[in-house]
Amino acid sequence: MKRLAMLLCLLTLPAAAIAADYTVQPAASKLAFSGSFQGAGFDGSFSQWTAAISYDPAHLATSKFDVDVVLASAKTGDSDRDSALPGADFFDVAKYPQAHFVTTAFHRDGAQIIADGKLTLRGVIRPVSLRVTFAPHGSGATLDVSGIVKRLDFGVGGGDYADTSVIGNDVKITAHLQLAAK
Amino acid sequence: MNLRSDDRQWGAVARFFHWTMALGILGNGVWGLLMTEMKPSMSKINVYALHKSFGLTLLGLLLLRLLWRTVDRRPPDEPAPRWQQRAAHLVHGVLYVLIAAIPLSGWWYNSLHGFPLQWFKLFNLPALAGKNIDASQFAHAVHEYLFWLLMLVLVAHVGAALKHHVFDRDNVLRRMLPFGRSRRDSTTPGES
Repeated sequence: MKRLAMLLCLLTLPAAAIAADYTVQPAASKLAFSGSFQGAGFDGSFSQWTAAISYDPAHLATSKFDVDVVLASAKTGDSDRDSALPGADFFDVAKYPQAHFVTTAFHRDGAQIIADGKLTLRGVIRPVSLRVTFAPHGSGATLDVSGIVKRLDFGVGGGDYADTSVIGNDVKITAHLQLAAK
Repeated sequence: MNLRSDDRQWGAVARFFHWTMALGILGNGVWGLLMTEMKPSMSKINVYALHKSFGLTLLGLLLLRLLWRTVDRRPPDEPAPRWQQRAAHLVHGVLYVLIAAIPLSGWWYNSLHGFPLQWFKLFNLPALAGKNIDASQFAHAVHEYLFWLLMLVLVAHVGAALKHHVFDRDNVLRRMLPFGRSRRDSTTPGES
């Protein structure tokens, strides 16, 4: 009986205090972005990225997203654009190969949970907020996040390419993560 | 000069369409041939966007011109051998077809390549076809060679106009010149 009580304590105490850790199942997950060019939208995605996810909507204080993105893995389905993106005018992957997003806090806006964090991109660190939709199922969960990043805040497409009448400033980031309990 | 054409000369509207489109097509054609040499840059994006906007404008002008043609009368053919009159009309027909086909083939190429199509940053036009990069190479060749074909047909058109003007000394060119008056007007001023 004593043993059982201890075991219960061990199992329930950590779960009660901190959010659950998950591993991302890459094949079923996607990190995408969409921007606008000459009045038309375009979609792209990153094929190489990793995310450490600790999340529990009941324990937001201990929840955390930590994401690394290999910028050279961006593809938008257009050869001209895809050859321009890694260049010095845009992501400048030679100097800044990765982008990094880490949450600093979560807050609620009505029923919506917002993840506030810092995005490091092209050597610039700026706050970025993401809307979080979390759906647990079985031992895993699906996690959907979305938010707007202003490309010029990070100098992505600066200089001549800063003309937002041609390339829109707002880039929508969306991620769909299939999570498995660790 | 009247807006409408009469028995002696083309009206102001017909002349306006003829000469603005002539300048526009030649200018945009040369522009299009030169722009492909540019290195990838924002300037290149803007130069291409202007080429497309001018091309769409010319396509719009062609539609208006054809509409006007249906309500406007045309001066009768100047005296010439029947085969020359027929050849002239054939050349005009081919020119109209090419003036439509060149911007449409550009639009088609643009669609196959998956580029957006915007008119002077004001509004976007739909794609004429789904994205197909392999086919877009063919469409690009069509777009360019149609322009060279137009240049070839233009030699006949301009050559014939000059021949009428210089050797036949008739009104074929004069009645279409921007500020030209037909010879009958100037040689017999007191007639009417």
